[in-house]
Amino acid sequence: MALFPIQGIYQDDFVVLLVPIDTEDPMTVVAEKIAHHAAGVRVPPAAGELRIKYQGELLDPEVTVVDAGVPPLGVLQAVTG
Amino acid sequence: MPALRRSEWYDLARDLNWNLSYVTEDEAFPEVMSNNYGITPNEKWWAWDEPYKVSYREYVHNQYGKDASVYSVNSVIARSRMFEELDPGWKSAIVAHYGAIAVPEYLAGLGESRMGRFGRAAAWRNMALFGTLDETRHGQIQTYFPYTLLDKEPRMDWAHKALHTNEWGAIAARHLFDDMFTANDAVSTAIQLTFTFETGFTNLQFLGMAADAMEVGDLDFGALISSIQTDESRHAQQGEPTVRILVENGYADVAQRLVDHMFWRSWHVFALLTGLSMDYYTPLEHRSHSFKEFMQEWIVKQFLDQFRDFGLEPSWYWESHFLPELDWYHHALHLGVWFWRPTVWWNPDAGVSPAEREWLEEKYPGWNDTFGVYWDTIGDNIRRGEETKTLPETFPMVCNMCQIPVVTPAGFRAGKLESPEPHIHIHEGRQYVFCSEPCKWIFQLNPSRFAGHTSVVDRFLGGEIQPPTIPGALEWMGLSPEEMGQDATNYAWAYEGLEAPGAAAS
Repeated sequence: MALFPIQGIYQDDFVVLLVPIDTEDPMTVVAEKIAHHAAGVRVPPAAGELRIKYQGELLDPEVTVVDAGVPPLGVLQAVTG
Repeated sequence: MPALRRSEWYDLARDLNWNLSYVTEDEAFPEVMSNNYGITPNEKWWAWDEPYKVSYREYVHNQYGKDASVYSVNSVIARSRMFEELDPGWKSAIVAHYGAIAVPEYLAGLGESRMGRFGRAAAWRNMALFGTLDETRHGQIQTYFPYTLLDKEPRMDWAHKALHTNEWGAIAARHLFDDMFTANDAVSTAIQLTFTFETGFTNLQFLGMAADAMEVGDLDFGALISSIQTDESRHAQQGEPTVRILVENGYADVAQRLVDHMFWRSWHVFALLTGLSMDYYTPLEHRSHSFKEFMQEWIVKQFLDQFRDFGLEPSWYWESHFLPELDWYHHALHLGVWFWRPTVWWNPDAGVSPAEREWLEEKYPGWNDTFGVYWDTIGDNIRRGEETKTLPETFPMVCNMCQIPVVTPAGFRAGKLESPEPHIHIHEGRQYVFCSEPCKWIFQLNPSRFAGHTSVVDRFLGGEIQPPTIPGALEWMGLSPEEMGQDATNYAWAYEGLEAPGAAAS
């Protein structure tokens, strides 16, 4: 387990955020950690399951950043569907 | 009565150019101080000319009169209650202005004095001497005026303090001004500071803000910046003849690149400073134009005319990036500055009451759909008493060129960008993050100039900010709890047009 910084974008938010996650976090948790800073804060919570998009592809909800080959400060989007 | 009219002696006395014999040209004008971009011999620069043709005696006489006038206004107003009665948003605009501008005026004096020594024609060095004195005056006057307001607004000391801190906006200002004049050679400074920045952008800041100041009733600030602008319009004339020499000697591409580089950087910092002041901080009833309208009148039109006059082209990013950003970029920055308000030294005015939103929608059709929705959610949180949800728990990513938060998702949401993602660039193994294609392009023009710099986020991740938390970062930025920005109207905007809390029960 180790702290791991990513660039997070929550669907429909206006800014790219520095979001600390853990290397063991599955993408479901990564999505929650991104959403924490925007959903119900600046944008209404998204209706539907949040997925993580990386380099244009939706990642499997159970993989970690290590599994997916995401580097430190990789750009991850939390989107519905 | 003088024996000679000025026109009979001025050019002869001013143009004291001579061929060097004791040292080489390279020794007298090292490239790092004065890049000739291949235009040799130096005599080719001696055609440099400017229209003001002021003698030193006239200069001193004029400046004495300006100072006597504007300091008199300040002396009288300091004994009144004018400042206390100003709108809170306007106070924020001038607190922000002084912090961002006062000390850089002294730094601009360094750039002017470099041109005063390393400008490649005597006429140019003469004008730059006046420019040095101008900028020294501007530094003095813009630290003195806020000093006289310290008993009414303690954060006026950020006029001197801001540029000496690691506050993120101060880092953005330092990065820009170091690139533009503190660490620039004389020829590039003439084109980037005087031709690009002063001829265009400071006109916007000083003339636009002077007009708004008079509307608001801030005679002190209006008199101050109107006085400064009279100097700017003179010493800004160093740019045009320098561009002309480059163009006439076949180096239009060099001039174009220098302008394109600094125009983009100036645009971003002015969107941050002036965009917020004009469209959100200035009281609605006193707004004469929107920021976009000012930009179109003072910047877009003026630069297109200048490009045409000099045979230059509109910058490659003009249509694809710059014009679209006029519709969304500063709105996103405003939202960010307000949300991260503890990180700035002024009180951001949300400026989104129902009447203000109506004005924003009129000036920027689609504003409610794109930006109003964020303020809807924030307003709901305020009204529910959940202020903590309106304050940051992490940082925004920051651009490695302009040092301003990356707001590409807002451009995507506004339909102006194809992707919400930032621009990533790897240089010598290090990853750089950019907010826009032009910021990345500027880096790639001269990577060695910019590669060593670290953004606030880089410093945070590198362990320079301890403890690595928001409070730790605020302390690192030099912001005590009393200095941190708060909502300028204590959230009055969130309740305007609604029944006051508790009113139904009474």
